[in-house]
Amino acid sequence: MTGLVLTLLWLTLVKSTPIIYAALGGVISERSGVINIGLEGMMAAGAFGAVVASYYIAHGIVGALTGLIVGIASGAVVGYVLALAATKFKVDQIVAGVGINLICSGGAAYGLVLIFNQPGASRQVNGLGNNGESALVALAFLVAFALYWLLYRTPWGLRVRATGENPLAVKSAGLDPLRFRMIAVTLSGALAGLGGAFLSIGELNLYSDGMTAGRGFIALAAVIFGRWTPLGATGAAIVFGLFEALQYALEGRFAWLPADALSALPYVAALVVLAGITGRVRAPAADGVPY
Amino acid sequence: MTPALQLRGIRKRFPGIVAVDDVDLELYAGEIHALVGENGAGKSTLAAIAFGELRPDAGSVSATGSVGLVHQHFELVGRLRVWQNVLLGREPRDGWRIDVGAARKRVASLAAANNLAIEPDAFVDELPIGIQQRVELLRELEREPAVLLLDEPTSALAPAEIDAFFATVVALAQRGTAVLIVTHKLQEVISYSARVSVMRHGKIVAAMPTKETSVDEIARAMVGGALPQIAAREQTTQQPCLAVHDLRAGAAEGGVSGIDLETRSGEIVGIAGVEGNGQTALADAIAGMIPYRGSVAFAGQRNLAVIPQDRHLEGLVLNFSVVENAVLGRQHRPGIQRGALLDYARARSDARTIVERFDVRAPSVDVKVRTLSGGNQQKLVVGRALIDRPRFVLAYNPTRGVDVGATALVQSRLVEARNGGAAILLISFDLDEILSLADRILVMYRGKIAGSFDRANVDRAAIGRLMAGSQ
Amino acid sequence: MKRLAAFISGPLGAIVLIVVLMSLAMLVAGTNPVDGFSALILGSLGGRNQIGETLVATTALLFPALGICLAFRAGLFNIGAEGQLLVGGMFAGAVGAAITMPPFPAIVLMLVLGAVGGGLWGAIAGWMKAKLRANEIISTLMLNFVAQYITLYLVDGPLKNPAATGAETAWLVPSYWLPTLIPHTRLSIGLLIAVALAVLLQFVFTRTVFGYELRAAGEAPEAARRSGINLGRLTWLTLAISGAFAGLGGATIVTGELHRFNTQLSPGYGFIAIAVALVGDLDPLKVCIASFAFGILEAGGLAMQASAQVPKDAIHVIEGLIILVLAARRYVAQRSERIEGAPVA
Repeated sequence: MTGLVLTLLWLTLVKSTPIIYAALGGVISERSGVINIGLEGMMAAGAFGAVVASYYIAHGIVGALTGLIVGIASGAVVGYVLALAATKFKVDQIVAGVGINLICSGGAAYGLVLIFNQPGASRQVNGLGNNGESALVALAFLVAFALYWLLYRTPWGLRVRATGENPLAVKSAGLDPLRFRMIAVTLSGALAGLGGAFLSIGELNLYSDGMTAGRGFIALAAVIFGRWTPLGATGAAIVFGLFEALQYALEGRFAWLPADALSALPYVAALVVLAGITGRVRAPAADGVPY
Repeated sequence: MTPALQLRGIRKRFPGIVAVDDVDLELYAGEIHALVGENGAGKSTLAAIAFGELRPDAGSVSATGSVGLVHQHFELVGRLRVWQNVLLGREPRDGWRIDVGAARKRVASLAAANNLAIEPDAFVDELPIGIQQRVELLRELEREPAVLLLDEPTSALAPAEIDAFFATVVALAQRGTAVLIVTHKLQEVISYSARVSVMRHGKIVAAMPTKETSVDEIARAMVGGALPQIAAREQTTQQPCLAVHDLRAGAAEGGVSGIDLETRSGEIVGIAGVEGNGQTALADAIAGMIPYRGSVAFAGQRNLAVIPQDRHLEGLVLNFSVVENAVLGRQHRPGIQRGALLDYARARSDARTIVERFDVRAPSVDVKVRTLSGGNQQKLVVGRALIDRPRFVLAYNPTRGVDVGATALVQSRLVEARNGGAAILLISFDLDEILSLADRILVMYRGKIAGSFDRANVDRAAIGRLMAGSQ
Repeated sequence: MKRLAAFISGPLGAIVLIVVLMSLAMLVAGTNPVDGFSALILGSLGGRNQIGETLVATTALLFPALGICLAFRAGLFNIGAEGQLLVGGMFAGAVGAAITMPPFPAIVLMLVLGAVGGGLWGAIAGWMKAKLRANEIISTLMLNFVAQYITLYLVDGPLKNPAATGAETAWLVPSYWLPTLIPHTRLSIGLLIAVALAVLLQFVFTRTVFGYELRAAGEAPEAARRSGINLGRLTWLTLAISGAFAGLGGATIVTGELHRFNTQLSPGYGFIAIAVALVGDLDPLKVCIASFAFGILEAGGLAMQASAQVPKDAIHVIEGLIILVLAARRYVAQRSERIEGAPVA
């Protein structure tokens, strides 16, 4: 019994980790006033970029670490594209996010054929291993606290929060609100890319189509559930991670619980949470409003 | 003496209009300069250019020091604290962090130095409008500007708050700041400014020392001729129309508690008061837009029309045409709705009627109302409210932000509706409008009726005192 | 410079830009763009069969795109067409496999139940939005995954065709199949139903009180509320109808082409339909044309994969780029008109 609980606990942490990273990305983006539907695509970009880098470097842990960095960078690049679209080109943020998700998932699938010459999944590459996985799990919590500190204790954080509430006030203070959005959304992409890299070379050692499986969207629900705060979103991500872990823990234990229905569990949980709380929380005032 | 701020040959055009046309303006240290003009005359555009927010198409701006601007609609972050708003972008640091203690101290001492009572840790959205303006003012003062621009600074303030506000501004000028006040309140111009410049159609049409001019002369310069007259009031027979009893609605701050009032057909009841004293809750409750306790009762059939306070947000669909907007709120009326269909031919003829009767200047009834000027948009909103000859009209700031011509037209149509037997509840933050239109005046303060006056025995000073909360 | 901006913002400029992007994608894959495009065009328009396949994809995209068009016009971001499509298809497949009745009422019943299924799935998000103020973007996204797993569970369990190896429902008897529109192709009369629906939708938008209120709510919710529109009712009703369109689309695929239900029903039609609706400016008649254009990409993409070795997934990258390019082009258009949004006061 204790064994089962410990397994479930560890599994919960592992399953929460990518959602935490993406949710933290969502928090910083939305606090600056940009709704990031593209988190899902940024995770896919991070996961795929990490695998490709590790594949080409191919030197054990060096390749894996390079992969991690390239994964973060890939997410950041996609984040930068959304940032440009949402600020300079004033594209509707939802529409841009949908487009980015199509590009990233399609691009990764295309890349699998181009680079690995096989559709569906990449070849196995060097992953970060168990130690690397554990380190990234721990790092998620560190990043959460760091983001909290950044948003609530530093001048930069104050300015980002002000931008998400009223960009005109930031402009009146002689600052450029678009700059804060650019940086925040790019950072958001980097965090989502890190979450994606955890999926591909942290937990596993390959990329497969659809491996992000809506975690970027669940992260958005976690942002709302966590009331747009780094620590709240982290807590919410752990709740969703728990449901995902439960799904694995329960699978096959009870004949009457079919695997496919269990797979729906995290999404149903996100729906229930969304239904239960959103009427009572308040988003940043300028969230989703182009400046 | 070199001017603290000098504008030369400023020109700015927007699609379809020259907003500022070859304007020269000089502001001197220690002097309060008033810039007056109608809505749309180009004052705010000129202020934005002087501040550096807009780039002029031609001309030059030179200043001896920094320029600060207090906006008409405050640009504050409601969910941040006072000190965070005041010091945004100039936060005192302690390593990587904000030095919160130093920040609080700086704001507190700045407030004390300018005689402004303010709590640095308060959240801005929990403060009354008058205090919010102090926050905006403090933010500009913190930067010790050589030139301070104030865009319609007193539009949301009570008479007592206005006096306090000008005391601060006068003290500031005495310490050597050049101040420009953009306003349409001529009494303030006469009382506080040293020089006045009048803008019309993008040009400065008159500039003179204030002590050599009068309210009348400035007003004539603003409109470029005689002031338009409004329709004459006629004798009416009055019968009860809509009665409000013990009305309680809205939040504790800005709501109403225990309002009683009665309106009669053929009568305009004016609600005087400073913004934020429950007027919005009263209007929304009567219109059925928010839940309320107490009663709102019609004598006879319910038949009301609303002129909402914010035409952009509440009254119009800006991307709809004049035709489509002409039936907004009327879409279920028999003759407009036919089964599941909307009779667009009828909508078009109604739109034409409104355009003609209310002098809405639009290139055609098929243009989007977004492209119309504020005055024409407002005339459309008012025309739509009056076209069905409602028994009761709720008019909330019906002439806010529109030019003198449009104001006279809207006010005339309201008086004519009254003459024709409609009951009108006029809520306005403009006391002059209430005094000129209302048969009876009720003063609202903190969600209650603080006093009432008949047209025969109005006492402007007494109303002003009630508006400010003193007896 | 101004001319260039005007060109890029025009439809022709968008097409040129897209062709350039596609050529780049082909070059990356090591294919001569000339070969790639000829494969694309021949594969989509080169013969009766190819045109048939293009129109099959057009139909499959048009239903959800019209539903998305309706929701977006009301200011509701329905990103859940994929799930609504699946649920609608599942309803149709399940009932079609179970009933015995004359063909005409059977087909009608399948289509109606498909619409009901998709409508219910959309109504869940609508109800959550109207009653609980839950963000419809996230709820519709989540419902996509829930639909995917639940339908998978059903066709792998209770509804599974015991005779089949894969997870799918039993085949429909041929008399329950939608009549073919072009002989010797897979194209059914579903295309006609979809086009009729587009015309109907256009009529609803421009002539009815419901369409008027829906557009007003989408453009200016507060003004709409004050005009007496019940926004809550409008919200769930719109999302339900939007879902019904997608569900009907799913049912049409089941009765028209697949003749059974499985979860491979849609290769992402519900997501691509978002691009279709946007490219069509949320105007039902333009959406028909956009569906045809994307139908060419879908059908031609498959052909390109077979003959020119360009992976079909490249098409999704192109579609994503089209969304971004077209959305950004409005900005370019505005810039060239020099509207700077500054108030004149």
